[in-house]
Amino acid sequence: MSRISKNVILALFTLSSSAFLLFQLYYYKHYLSAKNGAGLSKSKGSRVGFDSVQWRAVKKFIMLTSSQNVPVFLIDPLILELINKNFEQVKNISYGSASKCKFFCIQRDFTTFALQYHLWKNEEGWFPVAENMGFQCLKTESKDPRLDGIDSLSGTEIPLHCVCKWATHAIHLVVFHGRSGNYLWHGHLRLKGHIDRKFVPFRKLQFGRYPGAFDRPELQQVTVDGLEVVIPKDPEHFLEEIPHSRFIECRYKEARTFFQQYLDDSTVEAMTFQKSAKELLQLAAKTLNKLGVRFWLSSGTCLGWYRQCSIIPYSKDVDLGIFIQDYKHDIILAFQEAGLPLKHKFGKVEDSLELSFQGKDDVKLDIFFFYEETDYMWNGGTQAKSGKKFKYLFPKFTLCWTEFVDMKVRVPCETVEYIEANYGKSWKIPIKTWDWKNSPPNVQPNGVWPISEWDEVIQLY
Amino acid sequence: MDDWKPSPLIKPFGARKKRSWYLTWKYKLTNQRALRRFCQTGAVLFLLVTVIVNIKLILDTRRAISEAYEDREPEQDYDDARGHLEPQQHRGTGPRRVLDVEVYSSRSKVYVAVDGTTVLEDEAREQGRGIHVIVLNQATGHVMAKRVFDTYSPHEDEAMVLFLNMVAPGRVLICTVKDEGSFHLKDTAKALLRSLGSQAGPTLGWRDTWAFVGRKGGPVLGEKHSKSPALSSWGDPVLLKTDVPLSSAEEAECHWADTELNRRRRRFCSKVEGYGSVCSCKDPTPIEFSPDPLPDNKVLNVPVAVIAANRPNYLYSPQMITVFIDGYYEEPMDVVALFGLRGIQHTPISIKNARVSQHYKASLTATFNLFPEAKFAVVLEEDLDIAVDFFSFLSQSIHLLEEDDSLYCISAWNDQGYEHTAEDPALLYRVETMPGLGWVLRKSLYKEELEPKWPTPEKLWDWDIWMRMPEQRRGRECVIPDVSRSYHFGIIGLNMNGYFHEAYFKKHKFNTVPSVQLQNVDSLKKDAYEVEIHRLLSEAKVLDHSKHPCEDSFVPDTEGHVYVAFIQMEKEDDFTTWTQLAKCLHIWDLDVRGNHKGLWRLFRKKNHFLVVGVPASPYSVKKPPSVIPIYLEPPPKEEGAPGAAEQT
Repeated sequence: MSRISKNVILALFTLSSSAFLLFQLYYYKHYLSAKNGAGLSKSKGSRVGFDSVQWRAVKKFIMLTSSQNVPVFLIDPLILELINKNFEQVKNISYGSASKCKFFCIQRDFTTFALQYHLWKNEEGWFPVAENMGFQCLKTESKDPRLDGIDSLSGTEIPLHCVCKWATHAIHLVVFHGRSGNYLWHGHLRLKGHIDRKFVPFRKLQFGRYPGAFDRPELQQVTVDGLEVVIPKDPEHFLEEIPHSRFIECRYKEARTFFQQYLDDSTVEAMTFQKSAKELLQLAAKTLNKLGVRFWLSSGTCLGWYRQCSIIPYSKDVDLGIFIQDYKHDIILAFQEAGLPLKHKFGKVEDSLELSFQGKDDVKLDIFFFYEETDYMWNGGTQAKSGKKFKYLFPKFTLCWTEFVDMKVRVPCETVEYIEANYGKSWKIPIKTWDWKNSPPNVQPNGVWPISEWDEVIQLY
Repeated sequence: MDDWKPSPLIKPFGARKKRSWYLTWKYKLTNQRALRRFCQTGAVLFLLVTVIVNIKLILDTRRAISEAYEDREPEQDYDDARGHLEPQQHRGTGPRRVLDVEVYSSRSKVYVAVDGTTVLEDEAREQGRGIHVIVLNQATGHVMAKRVFDTYSPHEDEAMVLFLNMVAPGRVLICTVKDEGSFHLKDTAKALLRSLGSQAGPTLGWRDTWAFVGRKGGPVLGEKHSKSPALSSWGDPVLLKTDVPLSSAEEAECHWADTELNRRRRRFCSKVEGYGSVCSCKDPTPIEFSPDPLPDNKVLNVPVAVIAANRPNYLYSPQMITVFIDGYYEEPMDVVALFGLRGIQHTPISIKNARVSQHYKASLTATFNLFPEAKFAVVLEEDLDIAVDFFSFLSQSIHLLEEDDSLYCISAWNDQGYEHTAEDPALLYRVETMPGLGWVLRKSLYKEELEPKWPTPEKLWDWDIWMRMPEQRRGRECVIPDVSRSYHFGIIGLNMNGYFHEAYFKKHKFNTVPSVQLQNVDSLKKDAYEVEIHRLLSEAKVLDHSKHPCEDSFVPDTEGHVYVAFIQMEKEDDFTTWTQLAKCLHIWDLDVRGNHKGLWRLFRKKNHFLVVGVPASPYSVKKPPSVIPIYLEPPPKEEGAPGAAEQT
């Protein structure tokens, strides 16, 4: 008898568990496709026709925006990349003739569009229309960073991101705001208390993890999968910008506190210097950008940005950093053509390279080249009269965008670590006498140049 | 047993038979050990798979949940205080049906308390004289408007009438007098007070105290009055305590169609009062700007900065508009929101004029930050009315700022453009003095020159005077129209008092002709303008210099002629005769305005009238040798004219 029941129980278990398993498999499939199907259903989903949820959601969204005159453009990295790869094909297919849905039908949760805020004429009226069309929308707002730099102003909040869901597909609309320095900025997607965190899987969004800065793209209209969409004219450039687009704001509040404590130097000399330094920085940025050389604010200029959001009036020069792998031989020539003659050149490309150019009104432009080791970065210094070499060590850093004196420039994202390496923990206190050989806490003697190389590694003009 | 229905498969067997079938089957299986083993192992394996799938599912769900939690983290350091405050306010107003109102009126102090909360208290000396008016929402008891009308001074009663007429029927009105409120309280105002049901208001006398609570168009809820016993003394302080029954919310609101615009309107009208037909139930004023599009509009993308203080009414007159409000005043922000404009508030950081100047700086910087692509900004003040063709005027002239470096601004205001001295809406001038009052600023001028040098708060400078200083102007000029395109209607601003306004602004000419085509705009460029002036001077008839220029017959009774007069002007900064001439012409004489190289251009009796300062002006060469420049002596003991003393 016991034997019988054992078998029966086993059979019963098997039956019920297979029922369970079926149910679970069914559920799991749903769960997966709702979450992200990109990986799972590549073989199946990409060949789905024009009736897929994604394509229909995008179509509806484009209908909505064009009827409301909202000039959105596509910035979705995945789709832009596909378009970029098949650009000839996209160009050749005229409206309606596409036989297969190749771009918008890939199964995924989001399609990302962008919009320049100042072109959004009917912001408030737009949402009710979207809701009527079946979109469920969520908008995040924040205070306007463009007013942060100005004493005691507070304005109406500006929209940063909109997420509009249609069935299982969501459209992420990134709102770009134009800023001084001719670039576009988007904010950080911050979920405030009342927002439903399960509205869409926010983690998967490609924009909004950090604020970002982009060159103002030129746009063009193309027909993709039978839909007329606007995309950046140079999708490749835009795609290259995305991974390095993180933007950090100047610390205006701390800068104000700093000025309350130490007072701004408003003498004529200080203002003249700041003006010439700003012009020099603008000229240098223009020259380097034209060459396509990445650079960032270094040393005193970086400290000025971080501590007081302006040029330190007594700093006497403008300091930039460049990774040695970005070095180009025509840098010197380009600067000379821009009206900045070489003042001195220390070191060589393989070791401790440093360039210095003479700007107008006795303001100097120093360019330090950074070398990367396994666990630190460094740049070199050379004492002209003794041929002594110095090494300035920095913890590893990445580059971020920021706005400085009406320009979009790079700074180390890990700014405090960078500045503390250079100026020590007491960087908040202004010091007017600075000896570049002894004062920095990160300086190390690095031997002496062999006399035979002096002609090459110490060039003074 | 009868009910039992056998399954078709085992139909031939009874219950017993079924059992035996099972046993046979079992027996068979026991005999095939291998098969039995196989089945058992299969079942166990199957169970194992189920368990694994289960575990995977649990793990996945947990990960999804933890992701959701991580999403939540960054928000924790973000405090959103506003969201918490609002619901509480709403909750508080629900159950109460009666308001307990206290109103106090006396020589040196007034206050109003609603349900124990002081909503008005004014005991400052030398301030707040006149009738204080408070409007409460009849359903919620919220303060919707707070005004003071200094009816001791002229014209303030007109403003009060205007305001009281704008208040919607049914609202609760509270009036109280501080110091004196009757001297210039004219009959119209008194009649209005009578129509509100007030007994004492219409007979309010010199230095009387008076407190009044009533519903507009409804019953009086309380009134107290105390007569002043003598000219030199005040009435006794009065304290009025009364209960105000609240009405239902439906009564207090209009039934407008549910559109986005009306939602904005409803929000505004439930909060603020005194804007008349904007909140009218039947036929509300439109709150949308849809001006006729300009042909070839060159100012479409030029941002407009409206610099405002706390004079909200004035904002209520006609997408690039940003309103900058000095101070945390709620009401101007409400008006801005009503029109769907962008509003920015500026917390005051310094005093008086320096505050205005800092407010200007912050506003201009913010404008160029917010519109980084703009090359220009239009700067307006809240107490300016702009002409129908204001933007058309700018659109036609703005290219001058781009093309001519010797220009500093384009302004819509002609300092000397009075009813009797301005004539031609199509005519433009170049002048050395910046008039402000509705003007266009070039971004490069602001960013490169003005912003870095802008006077710091401790300097207490007026921004416009600073901007006119030679260090800033550097020999550049402004383009202005003959007939102003802006109108200054502010009375009590930071820079204005009633008399001053009456004397210098009221008779200003203001263009009312739509879309005027400006004449020969390019002749305003530096060199072309000199050619134009020389042509004009050659054409001009020299007036009879033996007559006194203040006499009416100095300019003949003709129309459309060009006349020239020569006045004495020893040096570039010698304006003795000009100031006297300006005085008798009844134009701006407080300082020198509207000159271009010692030349003034205006209209007299519809004739173009040129005044040249000799010998300082380069145009002196046009003076016939026989003409002796007019010299007018300044009145004696005039402190403001030390230059005159030197000459005599």
